[in-house]
Amino acid sequence: MPAVLALIAGFGVALVALPLIGLIIRTPWSRAGDILASGSARTALRLSLIVATASALVGLLVAFPLAWALARSQFRGKALVRALVVLPLVMPPVVGGVALLSAFGRRGLVGGPLYDVFGLQITFTVWAAVLASTFVSFPLLVLALEVGLRSLDVRLEDAASTMGAARWYVLRRVTLPLLAPQIAAGLVLAWARALGEFGATITFAGNLPGRTQTLPLAVFEQLQTDPGGAIALSLLLVTVSLVVIVTLRGRFLQTR
Amino acid sequence: MKRLVAVGAAALTLIAVGCGSSDEPTSAAGGNQEREITVFAASSLTAAFTQIGSDFEAANPRLTVTFNFGPSDGLAGQIESEGVADVFASASPTWMDDLASATGVTQRTDFARNKLVIITPPDDPAGIGSIDDLADPGLQLVLAAVGVPVGDYARQVLRNAGIAKAAAANVVSNEQDDASVVAKIASGEADTGIVYASDVTESVAPTVHSIEIPGDVNVIATYPIAVVDGAKSSDLARAFVRYVSGPDGQATLRAFGFLPPT
Amino acid sequence: MSLHVDVEVEVDRFRLEAEFLAEPGETVGLLGPNGAGKSTLVSVLAGLTQPAEGRVELDGSVLDDRAAHVHMNPEERSVGIVFQDLLLFPHLTAQDNVAFPLRARGVPAHEATDRARVLLGRLGVGERAHARPAELSGGEAQRVALARALVAEPRLLLLDEPLSALDVRARGRIKSLVRDTLRTFPGVRLLVTHDPVEAAMLSDRLVLLEEGRVTQTGTPDEIRRAPRTSFAADLVGVNFFAGRLERADEGTARLVTSAGEIVVAWPSDLPERSEDAIGVLRPIDISLHLQPPEGSARNVFRGRVVGIEIAGDRARVQVDSSPLLVAEITLGSISRLGLVEGTDVWASFKAVEVDLLPP
Repeated sequence: MPAVLALIAGFGVALVALPLIGLIIRTPWSRAGDILASGSARTALRLSLIVATASALVGLLVAFPLAWALARSQFRGKALVRALVVLPLVMPPVVGGVALLSAFGRRGLVGGPLYDVFGLQITFTVWAAVLASTFVSFPLLVLALEVGLRSLDVRLEDAASTMGAARWYVLRRVTLPLLAPQIAAGLVLAWARALGEFGATITFAGNLPGRTQTLPLAVFEQLQTDPGGAIALSLLLVTVSLVVIVTLRGRFLQTR
Repeated sequence: MKRLVAVGAAALTLIAVGCGSSDEPTSAAGGNQEREITVFAASSLTAAFTQIGSDFEAANPRLTVTFNFGPSDGLAGQIESEGVADVFASASPTWMDDLASATGVTQRTDFARNKLVIITPPDDPAGIGSIDDLADPGLQLVLAAVGVPVGDYARQVLRNAGIAKAAAANVVSNEQDDASVVAKIASGEADTGIVYASDVTESVAPTVHSIEIPGDVNVIATYPIAVVDGAKSSDLARAFVRYVSGPDGQATLRAFGFLPPT
Repeated sequence: MSLHVDVEVEVDRFRLEAEFLAEPGETVGLLGPNGAGKSTLVSVLAGLTQPAEGRVELDGSVLDDRAAHVHMNPEERSVGIVFQDLLLFPHLTAQDNVAFPLRARGVPAHEATDRARVLLGRLGVGERAHARPAELSGGEAQRVALARALVAEPRLLLLDEPLSALDVRARGRIKSLVRDTLRTFPGVRLLVTHDPVEAAMLSDRLVLLEEGRVTQTGTPDEIRRAPRTSFAADLVGVNFFAGRLERADEGTARLVTSAGEIVVAWPSDLPERSEDAIGVLRPIDISLHLQPPEGSARNVFRGRVVGIEIAGDRARVQVDSSPLLVAEITLGSISRLGLVEGTDVWASFKAVEVDLLPP
């Protein structure tokens, strides 16, 4: 590799590594054990894991038909749909939260009637945290799946149908298995994004330990009163993310 | 093409000359230099201090006041670690004490007080009449987080009213500052919240319904202001603190719903 | 039990009109150059494309009938296809690939796997049952694809360019396997290819497809005797002239083609003028000379040698005269005349040696 490129690549690594090293050094190791073992830290972590996993799975459910439509169907307004799908990625997350409120809040477009007629309220519940995380992360799934679907050899699906396979059978036994690497990659990305989600969550779901205070929110709150504790929690969040990504990457993402 | 280059070069020269002439740091006190002070203030002071800031700038030409508003606890932490503030105005003595012992402050003065008030959406969906209603089960109550002054004050009020436990069960969200609490109530997302009386500004008033808290349970917050030790422009910082405590500053604070310091 | 196809298909401005019959017990070879419409026809038979007009009937079942708005979906048809690129499922083992058509139709897993394994054994790749397609050689993959097409006992077996993906060595081995498989297959057998040798070797009857139309059907011999198009003539290796027939002097006529004109014997049973006359000339009836020949031959053409193909003790020499001619001479003559590519020659043949085909 040319020396100049290697040097620049080195800067890239440093850009990511240095903040992490800073975190590790600044962590108040003497107190860290207490902080991380505390109920609130464990609650926040557990909540984060549940919300992120739920978001990734819900996102997958929503993203698959969308990706299919974008990759395989012709319809008017396709460009608009694609732009809409990408929107949560480019929107500032807090703006996303505000947008979610206007749609699903107690006085929102959909949330309003839901509340008035059924007494159902999404905000301030863990579902709101899931919705906020799904909102910001499912575009990643759509993109990953669309790429996968486009690169799939459609002839294999046609061939399967000539062998007597009905459409659902083809989907289950041919399309999805062949898409597995892209699905896994998309899930990992979406999960990681959901885990770190803050702005939309705090705006739309609120901040209550045990219900909506995910780890990023806990870190932010700690930052105001106990920066050292916040650093310890941050390190926890980073470590959990790294562990999951590295393990999954080994299992699913080694395609070629 | 050549003309473009010439025009571009001329423009650049003009800009450079223009910039250069105004940027002359002089260490001598006073004089005709442009100077800047940075004020970290509790977010409940946003509206009032913005007004005070522009008044102060009008009275002192070539002076810029830059504000950073946020929760007092967070601001204190930021000043301690990054140290870029000249003035700190806190919503509670606690965080000023914190800063005093960490970095050190001078010319500390209590410049305003604030009392708390209950707010609900304009149509008051939960039918809140008084502070005791906050204990009703199933109510959605929004407070600022523990550690944020108005959050601590609010919980003190609830303790004073003897409904701390019942009300705590109703808390659905701990916001990072008073403005976020106001936002949640004004949008109708939650049933009720507790914020400063000064938060119900002219523009906020139509969007919320306020309910007085009886004097015997209410908490009066005291706001201290001080010059941060090691401030770059300490003389200007002192001037600002004097202004805030002086008649003009006080009048503005009154107009924005704050009580006098004593 | 037979397959009857009579369809008009339109795909992306390409129009295919085909009608033919295939009886069980005979292998029909659908032969045509690339772009002729062979893949379109395969797609119609598979059920992946609907014809614009017409009808496809297999063994009494109507697969397509446009007029009656009938279209049987691919998964309901009893067609076994070996695809041009094999299209083995990359994520399944050879065994699971072969079991797929059974499992898709609801056959229980272990029964499907057993039948698959037996069939793989019969085709000589039993020990590769657990390999993935990526690990198989060309020949092995071909056998697996063949097994997969046969396993569900279809009523129509369709082989699309079965040998094209193989190298020369594998081709030889697979060819006999395919021929034997075809011979023992009880249903209708259809082979689709652009390779005339493959077609001639494996088919009992040929259907020639060119530019979306069936131009000729018959056994290889029938076509050899009377090719109706230049493609057919190339197939069987004869010189082919098509054009306008005009009466010339005593007992002769001119056959005017787009590439040049030749003199033919005046046909007693043809009208004075004919627009679509076809003349066929065997290469062996053309003589080559280094000097302009004298003699009774009415057709003498000058050209350069552009190709020499040796087959045994004979050679086929291509001359770029107008029209193009292919002559067959002995190897001895090649060396005697010192013919190489680029040599200037005169080619001659008699008018009576050109066979005029009845329209």
